Amino acid sequence: MLNKPAVALFATIVVVSAACGGNGATTAPTSPPAATTAPTSAVTQPPASTVASQTAGCTVGVSWNNFQQPRWAAHDKPNIQQTVEAGGGKYIDADANLSNEQQLTDVDTLISKGANVLILLAQDQNAILPAVAKAKAANIPIIAYDRLIEDPSILYITFDNVGVGKAQAAALLAKVPTGNYVIIKGDPGDPNAATFLPQGFKDAGLLDKVTSGAIKILNATGTNYPADYGTFTDAWKTETAQSNMETIIDKATSDNTPINAILAENDSTALGVVAAETAKSMSFVPLSGQDGDTANLNNVALGKQYVDVWKNANELGKAAGAAALALCKGTPMASLTLPSNLLNPDVVPTAGLTAADFQTPGSNTVKSFILQPQPLTAANLQLPIDAGFIAKADLCKGVDATSATAPAACK
Amino acid sequence: MTNLAEAAPASAQATPPARASIRERAGALIGQTEINFRLFGMLVALALILFSFNVWSGGKLIQPGNMVTLAVQACGIAVIATGMVLVIVTRNIDLSVGSLVGFVAMSYAILMTDFMPRVLGMGADFPFRWEIALAMGMGIGLAFGAVQGFLIAYVGIPSFIVTLGGLLSIRGIVWYLSQGAAVVGLDPSFQLIGGGAQGSLGGNLTWLVGGLGALAVLGLLYYNRRQRRHFGFPLRPIWAEILLAVIGSGAILGLAWFANQNFWPKGLADQYAQAHGIVAPPGGLQISTGLPYPIVILIGVTLVMAWLSTRRRYGRSAFAYGGNPDAALLAGINTRWTIMKTFMLMGVLCAIAAAIAAARLNGATLDVGVSYELYVIAAAVVGGTSFAGGIGTIPGAVLGAFVMQSLAYGLSFNGVNSPGQNVAAGIVLILAVGFDTWNRRRGS
Repeated sequence: MLNKPAVALFATIVVVSAACGGNGATTAPTSPPAATTAPTSAVTQPPASTVASQTAGCTVGVSWNNFQQPRWAAHDKPNIQQTVEAGGGKYIDADANLSNEQQLTDVDTLISKGANVLILLAQDQNAILPAVAKAKAANIPIIAYDRLIEDPSILYITFDNVGVGKAQAAALLAKVPTGNYVIIKGDPGDPNAATFLPQGFKDAGLLDKVTSGAIKILNATGTNYPADYGTFTDAWKTETAQSNMETIIDKATSDNTPINAILAENDSTALGVVAAETAKSMSFVPLSGQDGDTANLNNVALGKQYVDVWKNANELGKAAGAAALALCKGTPMASLTLPSNLLNPDVVPTAGLTAADFQTPGSNTVKSFILQPQPLTAANLQLPIDAGFIAKADLCKGVDATSATAPAACK
Repeated sequence: MTNLAEAAPASAQATPPARASIRERAGALIGQTEINFRLFGMLVALALILFSFNVWSGGKLIQPGNMVTLAVQACGIAVIATGMVLVIVTRNIDLSVGSLVGFVAMSYAILMTDFMPRVLGMGADFPFRWEIALAMGMGIGLAFGAVQGFLIAYVGIPSFIVTLGGLLSIRGIVWYLSQGAAVVGLDPSFQLIGGGAQGSLGGNLTWLVGGLGALAVLGLLYYNRRQRRHFGFPLRPIWAEILLAVIGSGAILGLAWFANQNFWPKGLADQYAQAHGIVAPPGGLQISTGLPYPIVILIGVTLVMAWLSTRRRYGRSAFAYGGNPDAALLAGINTRWTIMKTFMLMGVLCAIAAAIAAARLNGATLDVGVSYELYVIAAAVVGGTSFAGGIGTIPGAVLGAFVMQSLAYGLSFNGVNSPGQNVAAGIVLILAVGFDTWNRRRGS
């Protein structure tokens, strides 16, 4: 039934889309505001000659799992790439598009392209282990970037995810100490959503308040923490979060209970929550998020979101790039030290600039750099502008600068 | 026709005609109303689902506000499902709908926040700006649909492959539009398309729509009876006509009344009262929301698609082709153009659904529309469309979408998380189609 011209046309489509898809990760034009490049180049320069000569021929391979989320292209990748290349190394990467199998293939490809160090953003902390084994067999050191890998030999560079949860809950608890809370969680398969962030909520005292009766979680289905507390959102999808939140608002209205605060685990779900509040004409109650996405920071300025825990991914990228170069040189993980002028002092790990031990939930002990997140509210929105993370025009879109409620950063 | 008095066996010696059982007599009576059993069965299923969840929730589920939420959530899928019926009827499939919705939604967002003000010089106050953006989006949907339709109909590539390629590549293109970032901040009037208290018809217009709908039901029944008499077809008994008239118009007016039982939230109503100098009665001003705009759009789309599929040559050609492709071709139907039109129609429907989705979000994210194709196909087949081709109804698909959505909403309302919802949806899908297949086999 197929005729030859059709087959030729079909083959062309396949080849073109494969070419576009394959190259997308490495050649996608990144358009962060120009200011992002200035601060990074200003602070990542150890004496170029010594580093370059020692790391010449250092190829750093990065395996992304979900390049489509905005932050990786806008912040993480440019900073890893710039730090690596400024140190004389070479940057290569691949995107697994949310597939575990694809990520295993990607790691193979990176190894065969000559990667000396691997930076892995694991789709699943256990499914990635065969790739880890292959890299270990090839004597390639591995950096687990942002997401944990349950293996004792990796270097874990991340923001303190438990700390993010603690900052989110602490900010809301300070603003709304008693009342009815709704918890919106992320993807059920992501350990951040299921374990680390809820652990942070608990560290901030949320569970104590629930036990004492000061706070009621409206969408709790049992007493098992954290499994029964909150509603998951498949794939962190904004539309799904909106639908779930609309249903929760309906239930609360039917029960005649007001919603006083909403603890959303990240910005994409928080965006859905705001849309649900708008659809149901509900007034905007204090809402949390994480990632510092542009639309959400704008919502913070507009008063629709209360706190956005910002993990300056620029800094994470720089840390990973510098660590990768050092590992290339042969520095053992235990004595890895980041250059003192590399990171913004606000994000430096509490354990300092030398790799520290980290106890994983799977009872492994790994070396780590756990950077500190910065909670942003309307009061300190100047921080991301100063760091070149967001442009003032984007932050303040729709804000009436003359109004008394406008944030200081927009006046 | 037998009536109950005659059916009683008169004497033991005479050989009475086989005594019609109660079941057969009831069946005969119902048959005379000529209600479409498939559709009626789905309405019953929908009512059962809602009723069971209502009991589970302690009577809290079936409230006007909740039902409005459920309906608005189902609108996007239902709109596309009306077109998917014709795609499946013509023995094709369209897997790219989700990606196309995502692409057009992102286009709306970028058009209104960036391209129109910056490149076309149409600022926020430009007249008809959101209407123009809507038209451009529908043009984009139409264009993509035309490309896919051409490849399928004229080049001969199987629709599964072409639309699978569309699914992958269009979703990829969306990333390039905004580097994956969410684009928010659409025109306030455009946002009304997404529903909400102000995105609704309001009490009076809803009654008007309800009244017109009831009149239309009566008119259609009358017209149908006249046509039957004219062409010499057997008429429905008068009692059946009256029963259908009462049930039909009663249901429509009932829905209009129910929609009007949904009121503006107190804060919004108070603001309105203040702004218009109205003294609010104790308990606050009760302003009915009425039917939300997404529902109105869905009703319009359903009517147009039903009319297209039953009263236009295009629709009859599609069903003819689906029933027997070779016979349709030999009968002189331009089958290729019919198929291409089907996919162009899908493109436009995706653009409409994308408008609803973007309006609801007040913008677009990278993952708008992900997995829509699965829900749309499920809605169409639960609604009675057969994969063998040639069989399917537009209202059935809309009902199918509502059945699936009420399942999801009811479970979510009662605290069942998404994995549980997915398990239920999969089981219901298999049961619905399995029952359908068994029924057809039994009847044939």
